[in-house]
Amino acid sequence: MKSRQLLQNLAMPLALLAICAFFATRESAFLGPRNLTQLIVEFSITGTLALGMFMILLTGQIDLSVGSGVGLIGGIAAVLVFHHGWPAEAAMIVAFAAAIGLWCAMGALIVRQRIPSFIITLGGLLIFKGLFWLVIENSTVPVARGDADNLYSILTTYYLSKYVGLAVGLGVMALLFILAWGSRQARQAHGLPVTSTAKTAAIWLGATAAVLALVIVCNEFRGVPLSLLVLAGTAGAVYFLTRHTPFGRYLYAIGGNEEAAVLSGIAVNRVLIGVYALMGVTVALTGFMTTAYSGASTTTVGDLMELDAIAACVIGGTALRGGRGTVVGVIFGALIMTSLLNGMTLLAVSPEAKFIARGVVLTLAVWMDVKLGRR
Amino acid sequence: MPLLSARRLTKRFPGVVALDAVNFDLKAGEIHALCGENGAGKSTLIKLLAGIHPHGTYEGDLLVNDQPVTFRGIRDAETAGIAVITQEFALIDELSVAENIFLGRAPRRGWRVDWLEMHRRAAGLLADFGLAISPEAPIRTLGVGQKQLVEIVRAMDKRTRVLVLDEPTAALTEQEVSVLLDHLRRLRAQGTACIYISHKLDEVFALADRITVLRDGRSVTTLERNQTTIPEVIKQMVGREIADLFPRRPRVAVANESAISSLLDVQHLTVARSAGEPPLLHDLSFSVRPGEILGFGGLMGAGRTELMMHLFGAWGHRISGKVTLREQPYADASPRVSIARGLVLATEDRRRYGLVLEQPVGFNLSLSSLPACTRAPMRIDQEKEYVRNQHFFESLRIKAPGQHARAGGLSGGNQQKVVLGKALMTNPAVVMLDEPTRGIDVGAKLEVYELINRLTGEGRAVILVSSELPELMGMSDRIIMLAAGRIGGEFARGEFTPEKLLAAAMGRAAA
Repeated sequence: MKSRQLLQNLAMPLALLAICAFFATRESAFLGPRNLTQLIVEFSITGTLALGMFMILLTGQIDLSVGSGVGLIGGIAAVLVFHHGWPAEAAMIVAFAAAIGLWCAMGALIVRQRIPSFIITLGGLLIFKGLFWLVIENSTVPVARGDADNLYSILTTYYLSKYVGLAVGLGVMALLFILAWGSRQARQAHGLPVTSTAKTAAIWLGATAAVLALVIVCNEFRGVPLSLLVLAGTAGAVYFLTRHTPFGRYLYAIGGNEEAAVLSGIAVNRVLIGVYALMGVTVALTGFMTTAYSGASTTTVGDLMELDAIAACVIGGTALRGGRGTVVGVIFGALIMTSLLNGMTLLAVSPEAKFIARGVVLTLAVWMDVKLGRR
Repeated sequence: MPLLSARRLTKRFPGVVALDAVNFDLKAGEIHALCGENGAGKSTLIKLLAGIHPHGTYEGDLLVNDQPVTFRGIRDAETAGIAVITQEFALIDELSVAENIFLGRAPRRGWRVDWLEMHRRAAGLLADFGLAISPEAPIRTLGVGQKQLVEIVRAMDKRTRVLVLDEPTAALTEQEVSVLLDHLRRLRAQGTACIYISHKLDEVFALADRITVLRDGRSVTTLERNQTTIPEVIKQMVGREIADLFPRRPRVAVANESAISSLLDVQHLTVARSAGEPPLLHDLSFSVRPGEILGFGGLMGAGRTELMMHLFGAWGHRISGKVTLREQPYADASPRVSIARGLVLATEDRRRYGLVLEQPVGFNLSLSSLPACTRAPMRIDQEKEYVRNQHFFESLRIKAPGQHARAGGLSGGNQQKVVLGKALMTNPAVVMLDEPTRGIDVGAKLEVYELINRLTGEGRAVILVSSELPELMGMSDRIIMLAAGRIGGEFARGEFTPEKLLAAAMGRAAA
């Protein structure tokens, strides 16, 4: 029993290592600073979207519309900047508002009209795709006018200078330390059981080593990408929401047993609309980053990203029927998914084979979910 | 020679020994009752017999006709002639009775299903049991008692020699129970052996030939029914004597009784399932005062659960009537508002409506009262939450390794305590308990009754819904019997007799 649990906990890191080892032996550039930095940017994009999807899946719902939504929201901001000459900040705020509005509307339709989320968001997938192509008029819309950089265009091309990167890394280390220590102290003050000092220290050391290694690798190339900070911020916020707020508890409760959640006095409808609004936020963030990464909004931006996000969640141990999953798992899942896609691109695998590989990974992940879900 | 026997069966789960060297014999053609408190190991024993816990996951031997058997799964057990009927039916609601009876082994003609033959045979089987059900009726149109019998019909058609029934009467009406018992006696006369698990000892004594008592995973004793008594069996189950089954301390009337206003007052309440449908609850008026237990009784379908769910804000459409909660009018109820205003409901079906089974006990306990555990605007104070939970965890004496234990892994009685704890943690003024002791054992029942006494002692009002007349009469200060959605009669303590209550439940006001 113990060993099985250990195996489950180690499965993701091991799978990640195996994937990296495979690609590294095929193409040494895979682990080079340039490719790793690129991988980190792609990981930031997939990871941010997956974190939004994670909260949706926790409640037992699903959102198939996010891929088209990513294109649409990125497209709206790009058109405002390029065609209408808006400042990037204003364009992004408007696009943000549009995303939150659209996702609130979908959430409201799902809970008030009792239409399954699968259908509403499948409709959303098509509608957003159509709107997207209308907005950009089936053309390519750059995210910046002329050569002038703006906040939008630098999202995935701005790197923190080495020292700032190191300072941020150390700051994160210190923050993790303070949080872990503070929670231990509080628990001890209340006479509650705590994990052993050695284990806490080992976890903290592992986490800080990972953060530092990340900073050092990034510094080898150009520095810590701005997009990684977006992901880190999102992950921190989602972690706090799911672990430390009533809202997060309610997500798990609704996914675990919706009827019991209603009878426990949880405003289930409000929570569900809220979780779709948050999905809107991550869609907007991802939309900006992925459009900026492409340099321009084109008709293919965001294609199939909903499936990558779902796969990342499921690989990371999120249950499709709701009620189970962790932020750390989702981060690992996104990393595995990104490594696979990045590695295949690096090896110049044909698009046909890439589609098939993505499909196989998604299917395997869901199969695993079904296997583990059966108790 | 025993038909089926267990020799020193031991089954361990992480952290618990569920069965500890249990011995058990079943003779051909006998009805053998298994009695024991929740968590005594009854369900585990059955799961071993049924092949749900396959050979190799336990120690000890299982013998059929004195031959050791190694069941790898349910199929092997069925082949050996053992069929288990649990509380959760293994029937498919959308399929017909006949299709369910022949599920997986439909009569065929070539590669096609022979529907005529299937319906003909199903009709014959149903007729054997004296069941007036059409073989073509979908299962969902059947009542609980009929579903139970369809399961038995299906088992008997598979040439079952050992029928295992786990709490078969928990959801049946008295009449359905007597039909079921008659069928079991008839099957016994035909040579089928039966293992019967029930918390209702009067049923056990009406039916069983022998009684085996389990306690804390051990087989304590096997008694001949005609040489023992109910108190004796209870004593064996709990390992001590229980002096008083219903320790109600009646509410003491105070001097200016009429000046005390009621906590919950309902006037002329008429409710339908949804708008536009005919009402299911008609013109109900009643009230509860602080420190009082108001009992609600009635037959299945009288509308007791619906009434509670409606008052709580989770069911139905109010056509007319007025509800006053703590002297404030209360319209547009919802569970969230009810809880905020001091009205809670502990539901009957705890697995379905009560608990998030895969989450820990602590998660479930605080689920309704999280706003009281927050710090800053929206942050859960996990230490405070733990301390609050622990208070209820300990005072309710929930038997689990700790708050971190998964709620789904607890026994029925302990799950019930978690549901109660969740309700009580909201600090309610009015507590509605819908069948709070259904399916839980004598010891746990007593603890629930003590808890109810404590609640009323603190000045809260309790509404107790129960199908068991002794419980209702033992615990209530006042009893209202519902009959088909109407009040059939209201009785003060001292006035109730089983005859009067039953007459009222059937809509015949007692003379």
